[in-house]
Amino acid sequence: MEFFLDPSRCIGCQACVRACAECDTHAGRPMIHLEYVDRALSPQTAPVVCMHCEDPTCAQVCPADAIKQTEDGVVMSALAERCIGCSNCVLACPFGVPRYVPERDQMMKCDLCYDRTSLGKMPMCATVCPSGALTYGPPEVIERLRRERSVRSFRFGAQEVRTHVGLMAPAGTAEIDVDVASFIAAEPEPMRKIA
Amino acid sequence: MKVEIVGGLVAASLVVAAIAIGSGGLRHFDPALTHYAFASVIAAFAVAYRYGGWLGRPPTRRLLRRVLELALERGFARQGAHAAGLAAARLGAQSFIARRSRLRWVTHFCLSWGSMLAFAITFPLVFGWVHFETAPTEAETYRAVLFGIVLDDFSVHSWKAFAAFNALNLSAILVLVGVALALYRRLREAGDFAVQQLAVDILPLVLLFAVSATGLLLTISSRALGGGGYPFFAVTHAATVIALLLYLPFGKLFHAVQRPAHVGIGLYKRAAASGAAARCVRCGAAFASAMQVADLKHVLGALAIEPRFADGLHYQDVCPGCRRRLLALNQGRLVGR
Amino acid sequence: MATLPTSEDELIARFGPHPMYEPAGGFARRPAAERLVKTHCCFCGVQCGIQLKVADGHVIGFEPWEEFPVNRGKLCSKGVARYLQNDHPDRLLHPLRRTESGFRRASWDEALGLVVERIRSIQQRHGRDAFAVLGGASLTNEKAYLLGKLARIALRTANIDYNGRLCMVSAAAANKMAFGVDRAANPWSDIPLAKCVMLVGTNVGECFPILTDYVWRARDTGAKVVVVDPRLTPIARTADLFLPVKPGRDSALFAGILADLVRRGAIDREFIHAHTVGFEAVREAVAKYTPLHTEALTGVPAASIVRAAELWAEAPTSMLLHARGLEHHTKGVENVLSTINLVLATGRIGKPGCGYGTITGQGNGQGGREHGQRCNQLPGGRDIENPAHRAEVARFWGVTETELPRAGLSAVEIFDAIERGEIKGLLSLSINPMVSLPDAAKTRRALERLEFFGAIDFFLSETARHADVVLAGSLQEEDEGTITTGEGRVVRLRRSVEPPGDARVDWRILVELAARLGFADKFRYTCAEDLFRELCAASSGGPIDYGGMSYEKIEKNLGVFWPCPKPEHPGTPRLFEGGRFAHADGRARFHVVDYRPPAEDVDRDYPLFLTTGRVVSQYLSGNQTRRIGPLLDQAPEPYVEIHPQLAEALGIAAGQMVRLATRRGELRLPALLTRAIRPDTVFVPYHWAGRLSVNRITHRALDPISKIPEFKVCAVRVEAS
Repeated sequence: MEFFLDPSRCIGCQACVRACAECDTHAGRPMIHLEYVDRALSPQTAPVVCMHCEDPTCAQVCPADAIKQTEDGVVMSALAERCIGCSNCVLACPFGVPRYVPERDQMMKCDLCYDRTSLGKMPMCATVCPSGALTYGPPEVIERLRRERSVRSFRFGAQEVRTHVGLMAPAGTAEIDVDVASFIAAEPEPMRKIA
Repeated sequence: MKVEIVGGLVAASLVVAAIAIGSGGLRHFDPALTHYAFASVIAAFAVAYRYGGWLGRPPTRRLLRRVLELALERGFARQGAHAAGLAAARLGAQSFIARRSRLRWVTHFCLSWGSMLAFAITFPLVFGWVHFETAPTEAETYRAVLFGIVLDDFSVHSWKAFAAFNALNLSAILVLVGVALALYRRLREAGDFAVQQLAVDILPLVLLFAVSATGLLLTISSRALGGGGYPFFAVTHAATVIALLLYLPFGKLFHAVQRPAHVGIGLYKRAAASGAAARCVRCGAAFASAMQVADLKHVLGALAIEPRFADGLHYQDVCPGCRRRLLALNQGRLVGR
Repeated sequence: MATLPTSEDELIARFGPHPMYEPAGGFARRPAAERLVKTHCCFCGVQCGIQLKVADGHVIGFEPWEEFPVNRGKLCSKGVARYLQNDHPDRLLHPLRRTESGFRRASWDEALGLVVERIRSIQQRHGRDAFAVLGGASLTNEKAYLLGKLARIALRTANIDYNGRLCMVSAAAANKMAFGVDRAANPWSDIPLAKCVMLVGTNVGECFPILTDYVWRARDTGAKVVVVDPRLTPIARTADLFLPVKPGRDSALFAGILADLVRRGAIDREFIHAHTVGFEAVREAVAKYTPLHTEALTGVPAASIVRAAELWAEAPTSMLLHARGLEHHTKGVENVLSTINLVLATGRIGKPGCGYGTITGQGNGQGGREHGQRCNQLPGGRDIENPAHRAEVARFWGVTETELPRAGLSAVEIFDAIERGEIKGLLSLSINPMVSLPDAAKTRRALERLEFFGAIDFFLSETARHADVVLAGSLQEEDEGTITTGEGRVVRLRRSVEPPGDARVDWRILVELAARLGFADKFRYTCAEDLFRELCAASSGGPIDYGGMSYEKIEKNLGVFWPCPKPEHPGTPRLFEGGRFAHADGRARFHVVDYRPPAEDVDRDYPLFLTTGRVVSQYLSGNQTRRIGPLLDQAPEPYVEIHPQLAEALGIAAGQMVRLATRRGELRLPALLTRAIRPDTVFVPYHWAGRLSVNRITHRALDPISKIPEFKVCAVRVEAS
């Protein structure tokens, strides 16, 4: 079973956010991120779950050694007894995933609904997502249903990251080389669709 | 030789030396407690070994260095005062746990202070630093001796005597209450129950329970059962204590050794908040302290992680929110929507 | 008489809306679920399957229901958070009676007695039709049927109507005219089979989020998606073709697309010849809608109009779906007919992946209009003015045909009649016209003129605040029943918990009222299933035939599509197969539609279009969703969407307060600058009350046939404030 992320399908309904907040391990507090890319430009939204890196940057920069991976590769929230709330992980994660929760003075993040997935259930967000932006299932099924293919290699400048969660991209894409420069344009591109 | 091994050997040697010197050349060392002392030396080695390895990790090293620099820059006295305040709140009162839940706080308070009280009493006894003797003049008077110096004389009927002889029982009761609350909370809170792991979360509770229960049974045996079962309880108590000492460096309980870093980070964040802010190169928003971003770049470099782009842009200069948006923007462009 | 009994602030302090964030006792103390109740979400016409977690008589959460085929566990934020309406501090727990300074607790005997006494007194003095009945469109079929029967048998008033009047009645009327029956022609499962999906005035992503999945499944097989909307909605953002139509110009656009299809010979002559009537007149009528002429009328580039026709023609299968954007017009019926003309001319109906439908927005918008809760309809979709239909229903109910009231006034007209003093009394069931009707000042004046107003509701809505008596009714999860979803599937709602306090199940309140009015013998039901059995029997032989349905059958099949005339009948997911339509001759009807402007077009004084709609986290008038904290936080207040170009011309900055002025009044709201809207149009979501209600300034003009108000277009002036 794998998790597949296709932000381009997202309709911003926040079902994932609400469903995430239902989890008893962080009840009332969603861990998934969902925000407008640029509300003034279009209704495009960006849902981001933890990508569950193979060698997570968050864990490497943690001074308290508080971020652990399960044997099946799930990167867990910081261990409460170790986390000292420094936010190094929040700042270092190339996907912008961990959250510092001031009330707990602790980092918390998406743990792939470990309470559900470890029992063979789907994560809450992927279960409810009505657009298919968040999907969980056997890779061969997703491959049959979708035209896009999942990519689990990312490049941020000279940093290469391999993840367990896949990002949907056109078939043949080996790696997603994240481009920053062309999205720092001073002027937003004019609205294509409305004259 | 690796620095951790050196550290471990130094720590173990220090404990040996402390026993030798503190007990007045073993004069006050109780041979019946030799196995405890031996386990303590091993534990000292292992704790120092792990602590050294931990301090050597780039992010921890950077944090430590920065805290020491701050002390140099801003004066040890002022930083020390801040640190003392933070330590009282975070290590003493542990008030940050209360914000997660009151039950959690009560549980942890009982467990941590029960354990620390027990260690504070037993280590000096085992190491021969403290011993009690009958006062030379009066049979009804006890004398407490620390490092060979007479601390106090008190009647066996005084409250001091009661406190001295029951402090360990109190610590055991505190720990047992803590263990009971911890189990109760794990059963009651579905969320906690879901993510519990036997080896990680339950084993330390079992160990703490075993140590405290067997310790209490020793008291019960000598006072209520006329010494019945005492040898057996003594052996099981020793076995559980030694197991706990040897487990200390490897499991969840090691956080007790690491936790002072929470004081350090308090100082760090205080300095960060008073310094310049880092602004996102994409959206312009202030998203962190410039000091922490600089430190992270340094740490990442030490870890051979280089999110640096061809045009010189470093991904640490892009805020986490923009990183999430950039993922959507890049993917959207790839799939053409 | 029915002015507010005390200040709005005091009413809000006591009855809310207060946002609720946690289940009873808080998240930390949430117990484990004792059982999971398989039921449905209450917040739109898709009626997603959901399992409610129940412990100790309380709904404490939800669990996805992945086996239910329509949504397969998927939900939107409303569905996920819906359980938070339970154990709500605002919940009405007992009847209320209006006093000089507010409301006081009343016994059921007192409250029901008063309602009955006032019904009698008003009807004796002013005639039977002087007492009107209004129902919601989220009620179960059982309740909708019962409310209609209560009005016609026990009150014998002609004036009963329902909130669906603000929803899809334009589609209902047009469907009857064109096809002879009113139901979405295809199940949603046909959408993924279509190679071209045309979405017209339907903000699928926000109003029916689950259908997004169906649209994407079609796209995954290579289907093209065409979206017609003045706003670039989330589903429109990624569409293959987006037609940013000028508000109120839809019928011209579809005439233009059809004209282009005719020109390129992409029409199905065989189908037209074999299964339809009236194409020639339509062909002639649309001829003048050349791409350029259509562009001039609609603001849609000619090339896009041609491209839409091309995409539709190239696809071997195609579906056209629309919603309120097409229907909320004074020519809503004409707009719908113009899209049906396109579907019929190309023969894209009654086949797998070929079809057409309106996407009903309200929980039971479909079922609510089928069984006699509508001013012109009797159970089984029968026409109240059709002598044969009247006779059938009169016989079934055991009354003479003459005793059965004739067609009454529609929802908006009822309020007009109240304002004119013709209707003196009103009984309402879960409907909140103070927020949902256009021109709220007029609605308020009407409510204030009522001699008596009795409201049944679970929360004190902005409308119920005006009531003389409030009867504490039931939430959806407190009753058994059925709902007919937007695709015509009858699904089963199950009771999860009992009504709290002294509140009662809605239908028992209605039965008690009927008994007190002296009709106990005609209202003998011991359970909701009794009502359903009677409803099915009543519908038997009618155009909308539930005759072969039962609770057991619905549960076993996870829903049954009507018509289902006999117990052994499997139901009918897809209508019109083989080109057989419901008109007596089996043929569908083309209708000539010539574009005409909206009732209030832009001019020098009011130079911009105002259009209204929904946001994803709110449902209808917000009487429920504004009380659910996380949903309210998702959209705490309304705003006005303005294109940055327009904002610049008007000197309006992002977030700045702006004044919207129409001929009805003014409204101040913060500006939300977005390029996702036409620069000549502004948009405001409508779910809020009082000073935040956009319906204070919308236009009350009605479609002459469907009587739907023109929510989707009126003229407005926008200024920095």
